[in-house]
Amino acid sequence: MRKRTFKGLAIGLVAVVGLAACGGSDDTATEDTEAVTEETTAEPTGLACQVTDVGGVDDKGFNQAAYEGLLQAQSELGVAVEYLESQGDADYDPNLQSFIDKGCDVIITVGFLLADATKKYAEANPDVAFAIVDSGTSAANVQGLTFAANEGAFLTGYMSAAMSESGVVGTYGGINIPPVTVWMQGFALGVKYYNEQKGADVKVLGWDIDKQDGTFAGNFESLDDGRNIAKTMYDEGADVIFTVAGPVGLGSAAFAQETDGKLRIIGVDKDMSISDAENANVYLGSALKGVTAAVFQAVQDALAGTGGGTDYVGTLANGGAGYVVSQEIPAELQAELDEIQQGIIDGTIATM
Amino acid sequence: MPRWFDALGSRLNRMSSLVITLLAVVSALVVGAVIIILSDVERLGNGEIGAAFSELATAYSALVRGSVGSLRALSETVNNSTPFIIAGVSVALAFKTGLFNIGATGQMLAGGLATTWVGFVMDGPAIVQIPLALLAGLVGGALFGAIPGVLKARTGAHEVITTIMLNYIASFTILWALDTQLFQRPDRSDPISKFVSDEAMLPKVFGFIGLGEKFPAHSGIIVALLVVAAYWWFLERSKMGFEFQAFGQNADAAEYAGMRAKRLTVVGMVVAGGIAGVAGGIEILGRYGYATQTFAGTIGFDAIAVALLGRSTPLGTMFSAILFGALQSGGREMQVETDINIDLIVVLRALIVMFIAAPLLVKAIWRVKSAQVSTGQTFKGWGS
Amino acid sequence: MRLDLVDITKSFPGVLANDRVSLNVSSGEVLALIGENGAGKSTLMNVLYGMYRPDSGEIRIDGQPTTFQSAADAIAAGIGMVHQHFMLVPVFSVAENVVLGVEPTGALGSLDIAKARQMVKEVSDKYHLDLDPDALIENLPVGIQQRVEIVKVLLRDAKVVVFDEPTAVLTPSEILEFFEIVKSLVDAGKGVVFITHKLKEALHIADRIAVLRRGTVVGETTPTQADENKIAEMMVGRPVQLVVSKNSAQPGEEVLSVSDLTVLDPDGRTVVDDISFAVRRGEIVGIAGVQGNGQTELVETLTGLRAANNGSVRLGGDDITVASPRLRHEMGMAHIPEDRQRQGLVVGMSIAQNLVLTRYHSPEFSNGVSMDWGKVHDVSEELVKNYDVRTNDVDNLASTLSGGNQQKVIVARELSRDLRLAVASQPTRGVDVGSIEYIHSQIVKERDAGTAVLIVSTELDEVMALSDRILVMYRGKIVAEVDPKKTSAMDIGLYMAGSKPQGVAS
Repeated sequence: MRKRTFKGLAIGLVAVVGLAACGGSDDTATEDTEAVTEETTAEPTGLACQVTDVGGVDDKGFNQAAYEGLLQAQSELGVAVEYLESQGDADYDPNLQSFIDKGCDVIITVGFLLADATKKYAEANPDVAFAIVDSGTSAANVQGLTFAANEGAFLTGYMSAAMSESGVVGTYGGINIPPVTVWMQGFALGVKYYNEQKGADVKVLGWDIDKQDGTFAGNFESLDDGRNIAKTMYDEGADVIFTVAGPVGLGSAAFAQETDGKLRIIGVDKDMSISDAENANVYLGSALKGVTAAVFQAVQDALAGTGGGTDYVGTLANGGAGYVVSQEIPAELQAELDEIQQGIIDGTIATM
Repeated sequence: MPRWFDALGSRLNRMSSLVITLLAVVSALVVGAVIIILSDVERLGNGEIGAAFSELATAYSALVRGSVGSLRALSETVNNSTPFIIAGVSVALAFKTGLFNIGATGQMLAGGLATTWVGFVMDGPAIVQIPLALLAGLVGGALFGAIPGVLKARTGAHEVITTIMLNYIASFTILWALDTQLFQRPDRSDPISKFVSDEAMLPKVFGFIGLGEKFPAHSGIIVALLVVAAYWWFLERSKMGFEFQAFGQNADAAEYAGMRAKRLTVVGMVVAGGIAGVAGGIEILGRYGYATQTFAGTIGFDAIAVALLGRSTPLGTMFSAILFGALQSGGREMQVETDINIDLIVVLRALIVMFIAAPLLVKAIWRVKSAQVSTGQTFKGWGS
Repeated sequence: MRLDLVDITKSFPGVLANDRVSLNVSSGEVLALIGENGAGKSTLMNVLYGMYRPDSGEIRIDGQPTTFQSAADAIAAGIGMVHQHFMLVPVFSVAENVVLGVEPTGALGSLDIAKARQMVKEVSDKYHLDLDPDALIENLPVGIQQRVEIVKVLLRDAKVVVFDEPTAVLTPSEILEFFEIVKSLVDAGKGVVFITHKLKEALHIADRIAVLRRGTVVGETTPTQADENKIAEMMVGRPVQLVVSKNSAQPGEEVLSVSDLTVLDPDGRTVVDDISFAVRRGEIVGIAGVQGNGQTELVETLTGLRAANNGSVRLGGDDITVASPRLRHEMGMAHIPEDRQRQGLVVGMSIAQNLVLTRYHSPEFSNGVSMDWGKVHDVSEELVKNYDVRTNDVDNLASTLSGGNQQKVIVARELSRDLRLAVASQPTRGVDVGSIEYIHSQIVKERDAGTAVLIVSTELDEVMALSDRILVMYRGKIVAEVDPKKTSAMDIGLYMAGSKPQGVAS
């Protein structure tokens, strides 16, 4: 993976401090600029660029999923790829401008929060194709990539209710924006559907269907927040928590790990038991969003010149939304889930 | 140059601290280079040392190109530097008064929120709106800065503690405010404010001669330069500036001389807070056009490093702010050109400050044989 | 053991602190190293103690050249130092302090406190130090604390003991006891280096006296060959008048009157205890006392830096008990503070700025908003000239001045205007002999011009030389008022120690 992480930097820093401590300060030759060119395979068919939201391409969540779509395009479509990580709102504009200057053919912006900036740059640069994850199209050259995330969340909500021993489940979001709350709504409706079907009374912490409001970390970064929210909900009796907050959820998983299996986590966006392998055992399942496929599709469409102005909506039906569950769930529950999934696809079960 | 100019320190001393500063920057770049190479584990593992070095060259040339290599890069550097300059002056002025203002972030948030409010509530031409909105930022930041000042004067609560805590309070207060009907953008459910009116937005510096496209730096830089000039006047010419500095360098002597310590503490924090508030307002009117919980980013903290690096002098603070701004815009280009994470820029900045704080280390590395290197009175704040 | 410093040169940027200094001291003798502040005494001792590396020259022990990389090396070589400022942990006992860093350990590395106690006892008995190993440092008088420092040095097998201004913090009787200790050290075969600026003490205790001036040894002499005037001349480089010449006072009406003044410290302890006295115009009243007996607090209360808890202070009839320092200043009160570095100056600012530190706000220099630094500069040049401050530019930092010149800056600032009352606290502490002479003459001149002068000093000689009347302070009270012409230093010393001279009725 073409990504140098901080671990590398840290190793470097430790080594350097070691050197400095020994007083070794011979002028480190920086002049050696003899070029060793990078791998030059076939001429790329285009340049696909991605601006991430905070979290970056190793967030084990949707930024990473989007980047994997880009990498897929790199290997299958032969495009060159670049990404820029946003560290805050202030970076959206300059990051987009950098890619415009760089001559990207298609720019994928990841996240609802980039919608304003994407619209602005799309309008100013009609020749460049844009696609935005989690937002609808906003200009003739922007493809919207949205997901009926509620459908997968509905199923995990049902499953959580069925698996809960305490009769309390929880969910929380990163920021109170539609692409986040849609999951929480779907999850809560899934629990509600379970209660209706089974005459049960499983409670949902963190999302109120009537008020359309709930618990939010306020960011997509802080693992500490994830830990604290999970702890609070666990103290209130929840034994399954659906985290809709990117890396924040990793903090919840880490906390769950400390409860000896009493608290289970439902991941979001990707199969977290794979992407967060260290904590694989705490994940009861994950609600999925087909971001990788959608991004790959968007690059393909952009190169063909067909994406602009359209909306791609990922659903259970087209594989753009879904869920995975742990092996441990009983076969009969799996059968019920299969049945509900079909009902959703058929439109006989409402998930909104 | 006027003769009293020497009063701030012998020229020799000045020279040597300038040299040390430059050497610290160079040292940081060298260490950064080593980090880049050593962290390229993959290539080093394959024995492609030449490739690692070439990547380093690419990285550093991108750093330069991205910061000053084009009009647009330059403009980006200007825009990045603007809040660093103003917030840096805020922290520097507090340092000069013997106060350690860690609260620039909170003061920026308070000022920025006030600016935002005026910005979307008011109507009128730019010439009225912009000054009023910035004035609101000044007042907002000043009021927020007054809190640690009063707490210290009345109860002796150390401003390092109180300003850090007030940063949290500001952060969550703005989160709450942005969720209220007054501030929240009608079509949004997340905490984000309404847009300020177009007239309130700071115009492009060279917009009036049609260069706004090529050089999109906003005119906040003009405000920043005015702040630097005012800071210079304040330190060098004003009566209160003299009191601030006397108090900052030796609180006992200031009290002995009849200056009122409590008043200076409060006024020092109010002025510092007000300046930081303007920095927040400039970010709103120049960059965003709206407020979020995080619009101040880490500028308030970076401003501490800016002031330290600039030894709290007006020009020093300005140049170190520009360096920080340039590193930021250059870092973006570096990330585009290489696979080096932009976090390296944070490491570079930390290294620079570390080397500044450890002048002996720099001297040892570069074998500088020179006068005692003062770390500046900037560290006095801890002693009080 | 014989210790030789040979041609030691040590320079700092812009300053040649030690220039080919050669000294020696052998077992069983006392070498007094005398010199003004800034003459290079401290630098030399830091070289000897391994804190600085000399640029050139060498240290020889019994003829063998050695180099010290650190204080630990110096200690290992048998050099011990008793610093002016003690390095003791107040809440530890004597025994614990003494063994700090060389703790005797029992099983499993635990501190063997019994052993430590034993060690202290042995050394204490051998040198007649009379120390209780279990006493807490914070409960001990300064003189005893100093002995703890001495024990520390002796326990580390010092063969040469260096004392840095050891008498500065002692009462006259403690000083006598200290000299006894020095004698017993010498009898036991130790070499002693005694750093001081007090001529009398050097003459009293030393076998040989080395005089340092501007980084070089300008001469070596013995108490039998030299007297105070001779040594002072060597220190300063010109003949010095050691006795303050003044006519008898012509006191006028009361200017300062203090009645029933009581001051508590922040912990609620009484530090100034129901004091009443007056100072009249045209007289110098001196307050004698050992440091820490309430003089500092008294002066701070008189000058408005500290609030009185009871009683009143009047200046020329006006009640100023609660007036601000600035108001008192404007009413004609001058204050030369006891610690010029801490209170009197902002050393990071220019000489000119320091010369206006207490009146920068006057219309002469400021319109209320901005400063007229040009005017400040001109006035400062005048003051520097009139008050003999040795500098080539008033825009230099105050920190570039020697102690004596710094003090002259304060004297110039405080005395260069019409005054009713001048309060001078430790006016010549750490000031060279030449400057002392000058400052004393200025104070007398001020008196003769009709100002009421209050001098507070822990240097009994100074109080006796300057004052027309002396008040002795002990534990916050004024325990005696004496006429310096009719009272001996020894008797005043007894008052300072809280006892009464024989033959004085209570």
